[in-house]
Amino acid sequence: MTLPETDERRALREAVSALGAEYGHDYYVRSAREGGRSTELWRAAGRLGYLGVHVPVEYGGGGGGIGDLAAVCEELGAAGCPLLLMVVSPAICATVLTRFGTDEQKRRWLPGLADGSRVFAFAITEPDAGSNSHQLTTTATRDGDGWRLSGRKTYISGVDEAEAVLVVARTADERTGRLKPVLFVVPTDAPGFGTSPIPTELVAPERQFDLFLDDIALPGDALVGSPDAGLMQLFAGLNPERILASAFALGMARYALAKAVDYARTRSVWGTPIGAHQAISHPLAACHIEVELARLMTHHAAALYDAGDDQAAGEAANMAKYAAGEAVVKTVDQAVQTHGGNGLSTEYGLATLLVASRLGRIAPVSREMILNFVAQHSLGLPRSY
Amino acid sequence: MKIVVLVKQVPDSGAERNLRADDNSVDRASANNVINEMDEYAIEEALRLQEAHGGEVTVLTMGPDRATESIRKALSMGPDGAVHVLDDALPGTDYLGTSRVLAAAIGTLSPDLVICGAEATDARGQVMAHMLAERLGFAALTGARKLTVEGAQLTVERQTEEGYEVVTAATPAVVSVWDTINEPRYPSFKGIMAAKKKPVDTKSLADLGVSADQVGWGGSATTVLSHSKRPARSAGVKVTDSGEGGVALVDYLSSEKFV
Repeated sequence: MTLPETDERRALREAVSALGAEYGHDYYVRSAREGGRSTELWRAAGRLGYLGVHVPVEYGGGGGGIGDLAAVCEELGAAGCPLLLMVVSPAICATVLTRFGTDEQKRRWLPGLADGSRVFAFAITEPDAGSNSHQLTTTATRDGDGWRLSGRKTYISGVDEAEAVLVVARTADERTGRLKPVLFVVPTDAPGFGTSPIPTELVAPERQFDLFLDDIALPGDALVGSPDAGLMQLFAGLNPERILASAFALGMARYALAKAVDYARTRSVWGTPIGAHQAISHPLAACHIEVELARLMTHHAAALYDAGDDQAAGEAANMAKYAAGEAVVKTVDQAVQTHGGNGLSTEYGLATLLVASRLGRIAPVSREMILNFVAQHSLGLPRSY
Repeated sequence: MKIVVLVKQVPDSGAERNLRADDNSVDRASANNVINEMDEYAIEEALRLQEAHGGEVTVLTMGPDRATESIRKALSMGPDGAVHVLDDALPGTDYLGTSRVLAAAIGTLSPDLVICGAEATDARGQVMAHMLAERLGFAALTGARKLTVEGAQLTVERQTEEGYEVVTAATPAVVSVWDTINEPRYPSFKGIMAAKKKPVDTKSLADLGVSADQVGWGGSATTVLSHSKRPARSAGVKVTDSGEGGVALVDYLSSEKFV
């Protein structure tokens, strides 16, 4: 279905879709299985300005919005080659730097993030805090003009591809328990920066890591934004993250649905295409409806964010992420079922998504935490935790 | 170097295409209309020449209102501007009439070089470059798989069934290209955003000094009298292998003179 978008957004979708088709799901799976990365596609998308659509023009970007970036992410996913690091490097890191970085930080980092030549990872989750960002223990201590940073992070995507990680920490003099997150750009080659890959069953070119931050010395200008800005600058990055995570899931859902529909139309048993049977067609129609509803909410969340309404965007982005996560899990499941045994084959390119689609329900914030948020903030119900 | 690139909007060749029952013309209303694929190679070649030698690239399209979409798409790849020949008298115009209109439009632009696709996927006539060269008094270098420019000297590798011919000419010239000549770029985001702001000069037949009775259904020298659907594919021969399958296959192939 056509979203209520500008001609330029539609043209962007068409161009990205053509680029994605050149690579496709085979490229994605090959990169994943051979331990490679999807660097060629990342670089190509970067050169064409697709990874920096939302970065201001004066810093080498396209001057568009998060809605444009989400369109890029969705179309690559629909072509079978989603780029997970889009959720992190351009969406979170470039956005936070754009909104809260100093002029010097923006000049230094944004052009490379916009054209994809630089990749930043993002680290918030900790082993003992999980989704509870109020209990972060990664701590920054003043050290002359600079800082010293210690702590642990887990499930951080793409650290092996990143030259720096935007790390969420807290300042040491805030031991009272009140959350006061601060953000640091931490180079991955800094002394004291340790990583350990987390083996997962995800078929994806991007890998997951534990981070060990052992008394890392950082210069004063590694701090992004004000040490007193608090939650707002964190949320500036987390709303785009959720919007992009929705687009990532919905691209994958569209890819799976298109495969299923094609199979249902062409696979004939006893002289009839299996898609003529309602046991096949109705579940696919239901998946299509859920995908389109989630696309609309994602579009809505991006429009609110791009209009500067962070608070309303937060609610819509959570709802979009919930809907997209449910839609992709259901759609990939149904696409595999439609294919019967072929759904599990390598040739049909769907089984690879069985685990990856669950990511949409779990990350970057779980379905359950979104329901908590909606129950408490949208419905005004008592806090559950 | 001043370059004009011809861009035609055609029904997507990836989908089913039809001719209209009433006037035997291409059914464009129910089709997904896109830039003729070969024209993207022409645009790419023009942009590469511009990058190497400077100058200006102008897209020229003759077509209905909705051809604007294809003009914007073409401009998003990088050309500087476009001329859109738009006139209610144009539907039904054949090759000769089209070449008359395009030649008149090219005449107002005085280019050094006209580049076009070797054929359009709807009619596949492969004659437009020749007709334009004749009308304009330009050299015709057709079917190029490689184009080199040194000053006013053009060298083309002209693709043939057996290999290629090397053909040279001086500007002004019309060059038609095959899809072997380059790999067209994807529009960049900046290109997409800039496309709407680029000038598109809409010209009527009157602007070009072409009279309405030289074009359209009435002004065409050729008429399509009738058309029929391509015959359905026949079932073919199924060889069941019961030990002699190989022999049966070779018998079939030799009966069809394939071996």
